[in-house]
Amino acid sequence: MKSMAIVIRDDSYDKILTPLVFAYLASAEQTQVDILFVNWAVKALTVEGAASLCMDGRHAADEAMVRENVAKAGLPNDIYEILKALKASGCVNFYACSLAGAIFGVNEGNLIPEAEGIVGASWFLNDKAAKADHYQYF
Amino acid sequence: MSVITATSTLDTSGKCCPMPIVETNKAMKSLGLGDILEIIATDTGTQKDIPSWCERTGQTLLSMTEESGVLHYHVRKDR
Repeated sequence: MKSMAIVIRDDSYDKILTPLVFAYLASAEQTQVDILFVNWAVKALTVEGAASLCMDGRHAADEAMVRENVAKAGLPNDIYEILKALKASGCVNFYACSLAGAIFGVNEGNLIPEAEGIVGASWFLNDKAAKADHYQYF
Repeated sequence: MSVITATSTLDTSGKCCPMPIVETNKAMKSLGLGDILEIIATDTGTQKDIPSWCERTGQTLLSMTEESGVLHYHVRKDR
């Protein structure tokens, strides 16, 4: 597998961990990973948004336990720190969906510097997802 | 039984997927061709992950042993 494309929609802390972990594993094999953040998940590409991610619904009460176990596993338990580590691997690119940015308040002014930019979903689907060896949607 | 002499050792005890693989990848980058990395792990997922990672990245898994829940791997850097 030389390339992988991921679309992330879910923005709760626990649900966003899985695609980021998969990206981490792929980057350790020098697989090129391109990730598009859509819907509420686009907020994760801002400092404030990443810091505010939490666990929803019936799992909300377990958030402290989950964060503690994430740290025990050796991962940063802060999403922005994970994004920075992924970017530092040199194999992972983050993109903000332009529609999601417009709806949920993400723009060039508050986008984290680790992100490649704000892009149209059509470009991502045609140039990244359709050409990738593997595609995942979360 | 021949003894494998490691060039360096990486202890991932207590850590879980993806960190043993991520840290193995980082450690291998600092080694030269032919060097041997010993990896210590307690995550049972590494029993599949490390052989798979070696195959994918062109490294050679020389040995894999387990004793009292602690896994030891020796990986030679070939690429």
